[in-house]
Amino acid sequence: MSAEKHTNGTTASIMNEAITRNEPLSPGTILLEAEHIRKDFPLGGFQVGKLGAQRAVHAVENASLTLRAGFATALVGESGSGKTTVARLLAGMYVATSGSIRHRGVTVRARNEGELRAYRRHVQLIFQDPFASLNPVHTVGYHLGRPLRIHGHIHTDEEEHQAILSLLRRVSLYPPEQFIEKFPHQLSGGQRQRVAIARALAVQPEVLLADEPVSMLDVSIRLDVLNLLLRLKNEEQLGVLFITHDIASARYFAEDTLVMYAGQIVEGGPSDEVIQHPKHPYTQLLLSAAPDPDRMKTHTQQSLAIPTKVARSEPPSLINPPQGCRFHLRCPKAMPVCSERFPARTDLGAGHWTHCFLYGDESTTSKEVAAPSPLQTNLQEGA
Amino acid sequence: MNNNTNVLEVNSICVDYAASNGTVHAVDNVSFTLKRGEVLGLAGESGSGKSTLAYAISRLLRPPALITQGEVLYYQRKSARDLNSMTQHDFKSTPQNAAESSDAIEPVDILKLTQKQLRAFRWQELAMVFQSAMNALNPVLNLEVQMTDVLKAHRPDMSKDERAARAKELLRLVGIAPDRLRSYPHELSGGMRQRSIIAIALALSPEIIIMDEPTTALDVVVQRDILTELLALKDQLGFSIIFITHDLSLLLEIADKVAIMYAGKLVETASSENLSEHALHPYTYGLLHSFPSLHGPRRKMTGIPGSPPDLRAVPPGCPFHPRCHFAFSACKTNVPTLLNTDAQMQQHVACHLYDATLNPAGPPASLAREALPNADSYDYAQGTAMIPVIRKEKLS
Repeated sequence: MSAEKHTNGTTASIMNEAITRNEPLSPGTILLEAEHIRKDFPLGGFQVGKLGAQRAVHAVENASLTLRAGFATALVGESGSGKTTVARLLAGMYVATSGSIRHRGVTVRARNEGELRAYRRHVQLIFQDPFASLNPVHTVGYHLGRPLRIHGHIHTDEEEHQAILSLLRRVSLYPPEQFIEKFPHQLSGGQRQRVAIARALAVQPEVLLADEPVSMLDVSIRLDVLNLLLRLKNEEQLGVLFITHDIASARYFAEDTLVMYAGQIVEGGPSDEVIQHPKHPYTQLLLSAAPDPDRMKTHTQQSLAIPTKVARSEPPSLINPPQGCRFHLRCPKAMPVCSERFPARTDLGAGHWTHCFLYGDESTTSKEVAAPSPLQTNLQEGA
Repeated sequence: MNNNTNVLEVNSICVDYAASNGTVHAVDNVSFTLKRGEVLGLAGESGSGKSTLAYAISRLLRPPALITQGEVLYYQRKSARDLNSMTQHDFKSTPQNAAESSDAIEPVDILKLTQKQLRAFRWQELAMVFQSAMNALNPVLNLEVQMTDVLKAHRPDMSKDERAARAKELLRLVGIAPDRLRSYPHELSGGMRQRSIIAIALALSPEIIIMDEPTTALDVVVQRDILTELLALKDQLGFSIIFITHDLSLLLEIADKVAIMYAGKLVETASSENLSEHALHPYTYGLLHSFPSLHGPRRKMTGIPGSPPDLRAVPPGCPFHPRCHFAFSACKTNVPTLLNTDAQMQQHVACHLYDATLNPAGPPASLAREALPNADSYDYAQGTAMIPVIRKEKLS
C-alpha cells in the first residue's frame, strides 16, 4: 500500500486551504483496477435438495473496470443489476469471491481493520440516501471532524476548525461557519448530500465511488450537486465511479460508461460512443426506454413503444441466473450459443467494446438472427 | 365521443394544513381544466403540493388538511352510464339552462358531495393510482379477491362469475396473463404489481384516473412499457389522466398539457410542445435545463440555485424570487397570478416578467429564446448563499 502523501503538519494556512495534496496526481494515472471480480452472496438457511451445492445470489460476475485520475466512469444499469455491489467491492466493504482489485498497481488485501483503514484513506464511498447516511444526533462539524482525526490529517482543535471550514467551502456550503453547528435535520437534501461529499473528501481520497449520488434529490438541485462533483473531479484529479440508472446523466458526467445487466458488464467505452451508437441489445433497449423530451409525444405512439417481446420480461433472478449471456432470455437477437456461454469481449474500435456474439467471438458471426429459444417463448407466454 | 369538452374544472382551490406552528398553505389558489381523453401532467418538486392537490380533487384529504376554498366541477357524461342507473340519481344534478347540444352535461361540485354520493363518485368516475402503488396491494390476499372487491362494493348486481370474468378481462387489458388471477402480490414482479393496480383502477371504467408518481419505483424499461400500454388503453377506453410526477422529461413525452407547480402555486400551464419549445417561467426554464440530454453537444448545465422553499416560510411575493436570475423589485412584494400570454397558445404563466405594467421592458431575451443565463460564469457561492436567507425567517 503506498502511503506517500498525507504527512503534512503545516496545514492550517491563512489561505483557508487547510487541506492540500502534497503532490497533485497527473491526469490519467491508473488509480484503481478491478479485474474479473465476482461476488456471490451465499444464501443462508436450511438447504433442501442439491446436497453440497451451496445456493447463492450471483450478484456480480466477471466485472473489470479501471478508474483513472481526473476521469469519471459511469456504471449504468437497472436496480438489482449489481451496480452497488461493485461499488462496495471497490470500497472494501465486501470481499470479492474471486478476482482482484489493484490500487496503484498493488493488489488490495484488506485483512484487518488497519489495512482497511489505510485503503479507505484513498478510496471513499458516497451513498445514495443523504437522509440515511448522516447520523441525526451529530452536527455537521462532528461528521467532518471524525475522518480528519481518524486519518491523522489534523492535530489541534484549531486545525480541525479550519479544515472543516475549508471542506464546507469546497462543497459550496456558504457561509461555512453557520453550517458547522447544524444537525442533519436542519439541512435540505442537497445540503446533506454536500455534507456527505465533504465527509468523503475529508480523508483526501484519490478515488470517489458515488453510488447514485443525486437520485434521492429534487430535480432542480440534482444538477448543482452533479456539477459540484464534476468540479471536484476536474480540480483535484479524483478518479470517480459514478453509479446511476439514468443514462443521460452518465453521458453528462462521465467520460466512460459501462452498462451492467444482471451482474454482467455487457458494454463499455467512451460515453458518447456507447450512448450514440449502442451495440449490445440491452444498451439499445435501455436507451429506447429512457425518457427523452426530444422524442415528443407527437411523434406517434410508435416511437414510444419498444418491442413488446423485449419489454414484457424482466431481469432474471440472480439466484439461478440463466447460463451464458444473462440477457439472452429477453434478447430479440438471441442465438443458441448465447445460452451456452458468456461471449468474450469484442473491441469495436475507439475504446468501445461489448460482450455480444453479434459482433464477434469466433464462429457465430455468420448467423445473425436465430429462432427464439424455447425458454424465451415460455417467458412470453407466462408474462 | 366529444373530445373537446371539459371533464373536470378546478377553480381556485386552496388547501391548508393546520400545523402547530402555523398554517401551511400547501395548495394556493390553483385552477385548471381537464378535457376528455387528455393527459394532464402535474410536475413539481417534492413539497410543491402536487399530491395534496390530487388528494383534494378526490376528497381524500383528512384533517389537519382542510380545503379552505374553491370548487371542483365534474362534468358527468350523460349518455354513457346506463350500467349504473342506481348511482345516477345520487347526483343531485343542477339543471342547466344552456342545453343546446344533445350531449349536455351537468357539472357536479365534488367538494359539495355527501358521503354517499362521494362513495358512488369515487372509482366509478374518478379512480386513483397511488404513489408506491407497488405496495398498495394487500400481501395476504390474492389478486382475484382484491380485484373483485371493488366490483362487489360498486356493482352489487354482478354475480360472482361475472366478477371473476371481469377481473380476468381487466388483467388481460393491462397485459397480465389471466391465470395470474390467483397469484399473491409477492409472486408478482414490481411491474406486474403496478399493472394490476392500474387494472383495479380501471375496474369500473372511470372517466378520470389520477396517477400519483405511478412509475417512480420502477426501472426505465418497465416504466416505458407500462406507460405505452396506459396511453393505448386511454385511447381505447377514452378516460382522462392526471399524471403527477417530478420527472419533467417523462411528462413532456406523454402529456398533452403540463402544469408546473412551485410552492403550492401553479406557475405555468402549457401544452407539452409549447413548454419544451418556449417555457416562459424562469422556474420551468430551469427545470427544463436541469436534466441532461441524450443527444446534442455536451455542455455545462446549471440547474436551479438554492433549494425549494419551506412551506412554513414561503418567501413573500413570488415564492421563486430568491432562486430566480431575473427577479426584480416587484417580485419581492407582489404575488404573481396566472396570466394568459397568448390566447392561441393557451400558455399561462405566473411571472411578473410578462406583466407589461410591472415590467414594461418585457421579458429578457435570454428567457424568451434558447440561451442559458450565463451558464459558465455561474457562481456557486452566490447560488447557495441564498439558502440561509430563506431559512433565517423560519428559525427566528
